[in-house]
Amino acid sequence: MGLIYTLNGLYFAAFLFLTSLGLNIILGVMGILNLAHGSLYAVGGFVAAFLIGLMAGGPIALTIPAAFLAAIAIAAAVGFVLETTLLKHMYSRALEYQLLITFGILMFVEDAIKLVFGGESIYASAPMDGMGAMNIMGHTYPKYYLFVMLMALLAGACIWWLMAKTRLGIMLRAIEMDRDMAHAMGIPMRKLSIFAFALGAGLAGLAGAMVVPTTPAVLGMGMDPLIMAFIVVVVGGLGSLKGALLGSVIVGLTRSFTIAYYAEMEMPLLFLIAVTILVARPQGLFGQS
Amino acid sequence: MKYYLLNPKAAAYLVALILLLLLPQFVSGYHITQVQIGLAMGILALGLNLLLRYTGVLSFGHGAYFASGAYAVGLLNMYFPEHFSFELSILAALVVSVIVSAIFGFVCVRHTKVFFSILTLALSMLLFAILEKAYHFTGGSDGIRIPMPTFFGHEFEMRKYPFLIGPYYYIVVGVFSAAVLTMLAIVNSPFGKALQATRDNEVRAEMIGIRVKRHRWYAFVISGGFAGLGAAVWSFSAGHITPEISMWVFSGEIVYMVLLGGFMIYEGPIVGAILFTYLNLYAKATTEYWMLIMGATLVTLVMVLPGGITGGISSLYTLLKPKKS
Amino acid sequence: MKNEIATNRRNFLKAAGVAGLGLGAAALTSVPKVAGAAKARKIPKTPVSLAAISFLTGPAAGPFGIPGDNAYKMMADVYNQKGGILGRQIELKSLDEAGGAKTQVELARKLILEDKVDAILGYISSGDCKAILPMSDELGGLILAYDCGTHVLMEGEKSPYDVPKFELGFRTAAHLGQDNIALALAIKKYMPNVKKIAGINQDYAWGRDSWHIFELAIKKLIPGVEVVKVLWPKIFTTDFTAHVSALQGSGAEIIHSSLWGGDAVTFLKQAMSADLLDNAKMAMSRGEPYPQEVGPDFPEGHFLCCAGTHYFLYPAWDKWPLNKWFVQEYKKRYDKYPTYPSYHAFQAIASYKTAVEKAASLVGGWPTIEEISKALSGLSLETPSGYLSINKDHNAREDCLVGISKKVDAYPFPILDPDRLEVFPSFQVNAPAGISTEDWIKGWKV
Repeated sequence: MGLIYTLNGLYFAAFLFLTSLGLNIILGVMGILNLAHGSLYAVGGFVAAFLIGLMAGGPIALTIPAAFLAAIAIAAAVGFVLETTLLKHMYSRALEYQLLITFGILMFVEDAIKLVFGGESIYASAPMDGMGAMNIMGHTYPKYYLFVMLMALLAGACIWWLMAKTRLGIMLRAIEMDRDMAHAMGIPMRKLSIFAFALGAGLAGLAGAMVVPTTPAVLGMGMDPLIMAFIVVVVGGLGSLKGALLGSVIVGLTRSFTIAYYAEMEMPLLFLIAVTILVARPQGLFGQS
Repeated sequence: MKYYLLNPKAAAYLVALILLLLLPQFVSGYHITQVQIGLAMGILALGLNLLLRYTGVLSFGHGAYFASGAYAVGLLNMYFPEHFSFELSILAALVVSVIVSAIFGFVCVRHTKVFFSILTLALSMLLFAILEKAYHFTGGSDGIRIPMPTFFGHEFEMRKYPFLIGPYYYIVVGVFSAAVLTMLAIVNSPFGKALQATRDNEVRAEMIGIRVKRHRWYAFVISGGFAGLGAAVWSFSAGHITPEISMWVFSGEIVYMVLLGGFMIYEGPIVGAILFTYLNLYAKATTEYWMLIMGATLVTLVMVLPGGITGGISSLYTLLKPKKS
Repeated sequence: MKNEIATNRRNFLKAAGVAGLGLGAAALTSVPKVAGAAKARKIPKTPVSLAAISFLTGPAAGPFGIPGDNAYKMMADVYNQKGGILGRQIELKSLDEAGGAKTQVELARKLILEDKVDAILGYISSGDCKAILPMSDELGGLILAYDCGTHVLMEGEKSPYDVPKFELGFRTAAHLGQDNIALALAIKKYMPNVKKIAGINQDYAWGRDSWHIFELAIKKLIPGVEVVKVLWPKIFTTDFTAHVSALQGSGAEIIHSSLWGGDAVTFLKQAMSADLLDNAKMAMSRGEPYPQEVGPDFPEGHFLCCAGTHYFLYPAWDKWPLNKWFVQEYKKRYDKYPTYPSYHAFQAIASYKTAVEKAASLVGGWPTIEEISKALSGLSLETPSGYLSINKDHNAREDCLVGISKKVDAYPFPILDPDRLEVFPSFQVNAPAGISTEDWIKGWKV
């Protein structure tokens, strides 16, 4: 069973990592803690669930990319609109305004989802059912879980490549380090801010889309992942990709083994880890102090 | 004495107090309960503003200290019903919220800016998780019922609702007034000035001998104590407490209140707290799309009226005032 | 006096009938008794204002709040088309249960004191019910809790306790004790030799209470049974893989669960994909909606309780046309089958209407809320699920249906096996008024 427990832990970690990825980019590059991140996640979830329902019966090789790309695109588009109408006024404003505007956005995006998709849950398990299961050392294990882990790694690798190897990434990191200096250097701030926010939003949408084959899309579905993503960001360190990955894996594995051997401690132990790391290393695992 | 009466601020406070005391003559009992809740939230908002306005850090997890106070009252009643009185409840709420905010604050004050906000948020969610998890001890998500208290040995021989709109209202006004004056004294004290110095320039404050983190921590604890006091006062009006008050959404609402009233003016958060209490209730009582109303109001506030209601009024006043030339 | 009463046609006829017996003098003294102290009680022309409160946002909206709210709207509309309640139209106000007890206490105060609604029908969360029901007597408002499950709502601190706890507070559905006791009874019947059981319930009061009652009952009924694993996932968990593996490792034959909504579907899906359900049988206290929501792959042979007898195929349509009408009307309006919150909403609004009519026939005119309360206590009425009776503790009692999933050709999802529908009469699964559910179970002589 040990192998299965490990895989379960990594599967949970994959979702944590995917969810925190976008939050981390927006926080790192723009310095804005996006409380509406969970709502963008929900937008992705609802869009994907709706499309999967629409394409029911079709081949999953077509359904999966179509639904996921649409989720990314629409969440990114929502992000684009939000950035260009509201958030662009926020960079020079005090922290309390930045936080509250995303809090306000959260509220109306939640209601907008309800207006567009109705309030009822949308079930969309076709991709997971369609992929089937495989045998891992005598245990049945759904292939979709492996697919999620793969996608999370892939998304992480793309972001790493973007940030470390491309000109775009270097400019983004320059903004992250010193906004004023980057501006003085002539980096196109407006375009890059829009790009970073839309990218973060798109990643939130992808995380939401990845989750709906395993669990129905419901109103308020983004609230819990938002909190989990915060914890990952705090544990891993602000804006640190490595930290987020390691933080997710630690949290995922701990959770899986705790449930197997001492279930009562599932939640308290997670928080205990977070608090311990914070007391011992206030800047998080890989954060700069 | 004469001098104090001439002070326009003191006179305005006196008028406000008289108006509050006379309010039951003019409005129905239901509004008295709403104002009562607004005043309790006002104490909480003043506490938050000590951090936001005077210390320059934004707590996005103040629900935790509010919950500490409320659960102190609830657990006191659950486990020591024979000692359940208003004065002991207030004391318990203050002690517990101060202890919790001292512990949480110790972790948080090492940071500023957005990291401070995230940390306070994460810690409030930790408390939420504990309150819900400790089902056998706290009643979990079902919460705890708060009955009518005795008041310094006096038992009120009346039903709950007449008690709330009668004697209890005046008790709340009393506690509220004391809280407003105490906070005013704190922000005008040398300690308050030192806080503002740490806010304006941390390095310079450190240079002139202010121990920045220590001061920030004290402010955090005082702020937590105010949240606990507000919670204790509120818990009797509410009559039932559940762990939701420790969730980050409520913490966000506290910040909302403070900004709605305007945090640059000392009394702003109180105005905001009372207005928010009404806005929140009427939005939910009017439509199932209440989030749209609350969200749109908040966005408008941030974009158009960053100084909040009181800030708006004061800039309007400056604009209209005939200029001395 | 007689002329005044004659404004009400029914009382006029009654009075006339008595008078017609030639007892004119006696009629003058006896009619006021029949009509109570009614002085010109007119039926107001204004609408009856009812507040229906359910979760309309957040994760509980889809599975509970919206099916419940839909049924409220549907029934208000249907009643209004037939003349409302005693000729008064129903004005229904659908409001959100969001914000926790903190907001709901303020909202209830506003509804009762400022908006002066005739009754509040609402609440899905047990925390909200516990916070709100005491306000009925405090503020003098009629409150009918319609869905919340906690077994202690109407029970006193000690057992035996005095009833009723609230004069003006009611719950028009049975509590969670019923589901879990019924499950234990069904397991006793079909798997009397079960050795190992496990539980997976959400880590909040609902899950804790459900497991508590189930464990008490099953250990009483099958003394040798061993609890091999008890899991407490956080509410709104989207990943149950770790729980599924832990349950597989435990070797449990029966897995008790009170999971609902997205959590239930997610858990079942993940359990199915790991083949957990081939070896272990689920016993789900609110399992009725899930074969339909999980779809054709939902396995056979699992115990599903219906939170009463709320099932779209039971009571059978030919024997109980009201169920057929309710299901078809709901399907027509919302293109879905009603689930148990819809039935619970029917129970609340129908209880109110029936009680008002009953009280009105006694007092001659529109009754006060105290009179409606008296009529509600001991009321029995026909609902789509059979007979509902409201006991003197102001809590309703229902029969309880436990079914076993089975695949059939007529539906694209498994249904409850028509040959093995176990219906337990209400007295077998509900503690009588005045004794706590726990003490009642402990006192069973099996």
